Amino acid sequence: MRDLPQKEGNLFKQILKCYELRQYKKGLKGAEQILKKFPEHGETLAMKGLFYSHLDKKEEAYDFVKKGLRYDLKSHVCWHVFGLVYRADKNYEEALKCYSQALRIDKDNFQILRDFANLQMQLRNFEGYVETVHRLVDMQPQNRQFWIGLSLGYHLMGKPDSSLKVLTTYEEAMAEANSKPDYEQSELLLYHNVVLSDMGDHEAALEHLNSIEKIVLDKKAIKEQRAKFYLALGRLEEAETAYRSLIAHNPDNFAYFDGLLKSLGLSADKLSDEDQTKVLDLFKDLKKEYPRSNVAKRLPLRFATGERFSKIADEYLRTMLRKGVPSLFVNIKTLYTDREKEQAIETLMLGYLAHLHKSQGFDNSGAVVEPPTAILWTRYFLAQHYDFKGDSDEALKLINKAIEHTPTLVELYMTKGRILKHAGDYVSAMEAVNEARELDLQDRFINSKCTKYMLRADKVAEAEKTIILFSRADIADPLNDLVEMQAYWFLIESAESHLRQGQTGRALKRFHQIEKMFGDFADDQFDFHAYCPRKMTLRAYVKLLKLEDQLYSHPYYLRAAQSAIRCYVSLFDKPDGDSDEMEGMTESEKKKLRSKQRKAELKAQKDAEENKKKAVAVQDTTKKGKVDEDPEGLKYLKIEDPLAEALKFLRHLEALASDRIETQLLAFEVYFRKNKMLLALKALLKAHKIDASNATLHEQLVRFSLAVRKSEIKPSTKTVIDKHWETLYHGQDLATFTGAFLKQQKDSAVGSVPHLISAAIAASLMDSSKAGKETAEEILFLMAKEEAKFGKSRSVENVQVAIKTLKSFKSARTQELKAQAAAWFPRATAFQV
Amino acid sequence: MTPPAINMSSSTTTTTLKNNAAFRMSLGDITPNNVGQLKRLNVVLFPVAYAPSFYKEILEVGEFAKIIYFNDVCVGGVCCRKETVAGSATQNLYIATLGVLAPYRRLGLGSKLLNHILETATEASTTPKVSKIYLHVQFGNEEALEFYKKHGFEVVEKCENYYPQFEVKDAYKLEKVLVASN
Repeated sequence: MRDLPQKEGNLFKQILKCYELRQYKKGLKGAEQILKKFPEHGETLAMKGLFYSHLDKKEEAYDFVKKGLRYDLKSHVCWHVFGLVYRADKNYEEALKCYSQALRIDKDNFQILRDFANLQMQLRNFEGYVETVHRLVDMQPQNRQFWIGLSLGYHLMGKPDSSLKVLTTYEEAMAEANSKPDYEQSELLLYHNVVLSDMGDHEAALEHLNSIEKIVLDKKAIKEQRAKFYLALGRLEEAETAYRSLIAHNPDNFAYFDGLLKSLGLSADKLSDEDQTKVLDLFKDLKKEYPRSNVAKRLPLRFATGERFSKIADEYLRTMLRKGVPSLFVNIKTLYTDREKEQAIETLMLGYLAHLHKSQGFDNSGAVVEPPTAILWTRYFLAQHYDFKGDSDEALKLINKAIEHTPTLVELYMTKGRILKHAGDYVSAMEAVNEARELDLQDRFINSKCTKYMLRADKVAEAEKTIILFSRADIADPLNDLVEMQAYWFLIESAESHLRQGQTGRALKRFHQIEKMFGDFADDQFDFHAYCPRKMTLRAYVKLLKLEDQLYSHPYYLRAAQSAIRCYVSLFDKPDGDSDEMEGMTESEKKKLRSKQRKAELKAQKDAEENKKKAVAVQDTTKKGKVDEDPEGLKYLKIEDPLAEALKFLRHLEALASDRIETQLLAFEVYFRKNKMLLALKALLKAHKIDASNATLHEQLVRFSLAVRKSEIKPSTKTVIDKHWETLYHGQDLATFTGAFLKQQKDSAVGSVPHLISAAIAASLMDSSKAGKETAEEILFLMAKEEAKFGKSRSVENVQVAIKTLKSFKSARTQELKAQAAAWFPRATAFQV
Repeated sequence: MTPPAINMSSSTTTTTLKNNAAFRMSLGDITPNNVGQLKRLNVVLFPVAYAPSFYKEILEVGEFAKIIYFNDVCVGGVCCRKETVAGSATQNLYIATLGVLAPYRRLGLGSKLLNHILETATEASTTPKVSKIYLHVQFGNEEALEFYKKHGFEVVEKCENYYPQFEVKDAYKLEKVLVASN
């Protein structure tokens, strides 16, 4: 601390204390008192900013901290405070830079070093982390958490041997000090064992495991690890014993049975006849030994084939149907990857249905009278079975029969809804699920499902009314409770519904909420960098870090980011707000629609204002929380640079889901529009490497090639592009290229509608004349011509995209395809005229 | 009501069935959350459409309205109405509906429902005391008539034009006296 007379110096010390004790208001007063006399004291100015930051005045916070720095650039306190303010705002990169500055001035400041290490871990800068923690160990060798941190750092940067050395040194030093085994020591030793096993030396790991067994409290972990090591070392007899003992502990854990089979050398995917007999005999015994184990009954179905499969399945299905297990189909359908098994199950189930009709038994022996629920569950299963096969008619017939039999069973209506959804009739699907909901109003699962179906049918108001039945009633905006509870599914589904209805602003608002939730997840780990090494929960901590590293590859984020990027890309393409609806309209039609939309918008705005007024009035009395001031999400529509917003979503995907082709396809769309040809090329190359036969990729390649030909490109860029030309286009000209792509579709037994769409777009881009358009139309209509080939790929969604594509060509044949589609999907609302 | 598809009333089958783990039954309360199940049952079982007020009252009668589960599926129910008798310290109980879905008949579910009502009505804790239980059965519904007679009910009156909206308009009134009225 610099140049303050004693009185103010003491006051400064007091305000530092205030910060530690979180007395921010008091601290602020103190700072102001000093500043009255010394308005140019940098460190006090910085502290004032820090207090503001915690009092939720972010702008003032940065102002004062920066002002402080200007007066005292050489103060580590100022830089430290600057770092703290950035950290409070979750801006870890900038915080890290400030800390570096602070340490340059005061390299042995213990507190700064400790914070610095946590930031480095947050940013996964393992080298830096290890270096920092090394210094902390040197400064405080008696402090356990730094030793642990050092070992963690080495382990995470892929140097388990160094990590091990640290652990051993530490354990040796501590051996005498800490002789009483406790949880923390137990966890430390187990972590030690994980590091050993990560080094691949299973022999040593096993030996270590045996040596720590007495001290370790997590006995299950010891047993599981030991069994694994035996297996890895090929000590199969011991492995067998170990897994049998684990099964005795928990006979419903698939992994244990898996281990047992492996230890018996019986884990191959396709078993020989002889081995199959062995496996089935083994399970016969296990079933006897553990009659209540579901896994022992279910697993043989995976291994048995042919007649033996039918026999085991027969017994299994009868038991489950008699008992009435609603999840039976979900459990069984994983076997349907094997066509033969699917057929065998169908034969069995149809047999039951026929016999139950006649004699109340599963067969005609008359030996057992089944409960009347047996026929109910049999129909329920078969309805799902036919739905799975894409036969909506048969499925509906069966489920309606079941409902006639027992109209009070909730599951039946849920399945009816599902079948109707698959048939494309979203409104009837919603009605069916709502019937289910009304049968059991206290079931949150059904309530949520029903909400989802309402959103699929684009009944947003009804959906919102339904979902808030289960959200907190004491806040001003109950829908916001869903955001606070991180209910991704609701946000995604409502965003997609808004999109279908052309309400891009509302949709984007939801996508940004989802993005923020994932950000919160990433931020949440920060506290654990200090906590876990102190509390020794090291195995869990390493797992957490690995989970966080994969965070943004979560399907929900991918789905949200994909749609958000598409929104921003189309905002860029059509800044005047042309929606998909306007595709192919004349100017005057567009004008009409736009003025209609504007009116709706104005009305919505007015409604929103009124709601706000109402809500504020209510808020004053009882309700907590804020009211949404921009429910329409207008601010997202007015964004200056939509591609920059798209990039924000894309960045996470590129960092953590770069091996997903969707990421690369989206990256292309953004970079291509930003005219970053090399980055666009990079995305194409990566996508090409992931799946060269991807449908969308073809269309993108054609667009890229046409653009490269047309636009003025720097020679240096051109050279790079030329270098990869062969890889991407096989040296073909575009017509040949698309021709070859299309020929693949024509030659293969199973066709894909998305590929046809991509080829059609490519054809229309290459030749914008009438002939080009006709070629494109012909390509799309292949799906109608070759029933057998494209039948499977002709889903409601795919055909919808195809129709949209025709519309974008302003094709006269749009209605023709729509009429075709209506015949293919008589129930689908999307194709009804 | 249509008769069940299979007649399983022979006593031997019934006893083995009842001991079978695959034949479980249990009574359940009616709550605002599951009253939808009762509504659905009544729509299927009875030709009369009951007003919302009917279901509101059901929620007030406690043990005198129940649903019954067979293997965890709701398949039947009973709804009664309490009636005060002018100038008497006792009350009457009117069984408004009692029914079981067709596939689940002859398994003892109806008896279980009725017995529950009879037991509750005669419990010491029930106040005021129930002096009699009564109900109406449409002409021609021999199955129901037999059922109630088996449980000690007697026909006390023929009510002409009791169901004016149906083809068969007449009904029997049956009752069972629990406490001799004073």
